[in-house]
Amino acid sequence: MNGIPFLTIQDVATLDGVLADFLTKSEAELTVVIDRGGNVISQFGDMTVMDVTIIAALAAGSFAATRELARRIGELEFNALYHQGNGNHIFMNSVDDGTIMITVFGKRTTVGLVRFYSSSTAQNVAVLLNGLSRGGHGFSFDASDITSTSLFADN
Amino acid sequence: MSIINYASREIQFKIVYYGPALCGKTTNLGYIHQRINPENRGDLVSLATAADRTLFFDFLPLNAVVIKGFVTKFQLYTVPGQVIYDATRQLVLRSVDGVVFVADSQWEKMEENVESFKNLEDNLAKQNLSLDETPYVIQYNKRDLENIAPVNYLEYVLNNRKKRVQSFEVVSSTGQNVFASLNAVSQILLHKFSKQSDTPETAGPRVAVPMEAAGAR
Repeated sequence: MNGIPFLTIQDVATLDGVLADFLTKSEAELTVVIDRGGNVISQFGDMTVMDVTIIAALAAGSFAATRELARRIGELEFNALYHQGNGNHIFMNSVDDGTIMITVFGKRTTVGLVRFYSSSTAQNVAVLLNGLSRGGHGFSFDASDITSTSLFADN
Repeated sequence: MSIINYASREIQFKIVYYGPALCGKTTNLGYIHQRINPENRGDLVSLATAADRTLFFDFLPLNAVVIKGFVTKFQLYTVPGQVIYDATRQLVLRSVDGVVFVADSQWEKMEENVESFKNLEDNLAKQNLSLDETPYVIQYNKRDLENIAPVNYLEYVLNNRKKRVQSFEVVSSTGQNVFASLNAVSQILLHKFSKQSDTPETAGPRVAVPMEAAGAR
């Protein structure tokens, strides 16, 4: 866990601005930026429609699995994946080596529009994430902050 | 790798349940999902075959304690235990923060336990990690069965590294020590995390790690 990245309030505000602009232009419902381990880095849009944590875990798995598929045909990875539903769809694209962007959209827009705007958005997100602070996260706690009782209780 | 979000005031950690096929990893997550306060957990997602064997992973998100206004979020994963799914295990291990190694206590499973433990070390190495720097605990599961190896033998076989770790006698089907082992690895993980702050006042261990936690050996 060396070099733990942390998002300051300013980082999140900037990231939200980039993602909000993307949603406005693409007319998508929701976008989530995750790391390839399945952790949610940032999210923007209508969160009530689904559990973003689970979407992130599954999307990271899906992206990783198809990466292996890509290697079998001589590609390093597939830069983008599209899952088409009847009314709702998911578009995923690579932001950088460690990050993926997931976009959920419905009938208001098209995959072409989402794909078009997600490309420049991913570049902006990559620049922002590369500049994140790392290392001493400045967040500390001690024995009095976390009791010796169980973190998780068996009910 | 954990991420700290100062805007949503969250810290995320990833814990992976690792072990040979049919050792009880999914049963662990199922018990935790069943018994933990529903307000503190999300859905249990299982990507399994028709025969209920884990194909990709099981996933359970949990919220734990609030530390200084930050919610600690733990994401529990299992790996598929079957030997052929090694590529999948490597994917699930990505960005891991802590591990619960689930061993099957039955005599006939001893070779598979050792093989799986070695596989864990190998797959961590592929991410430039080692067990020495990864918080982990060991479960000796299925202690309710008859044909099981004694704990001191299991300790000799699986917990014989330079630094011995906490181990637990577990019956995952009834929940015996399931929460004890989850709490232990979470505490160790938070302990390590607290040491990583480079602010002067946080040098050295700052989080209580109850080495004699209920059920710990």
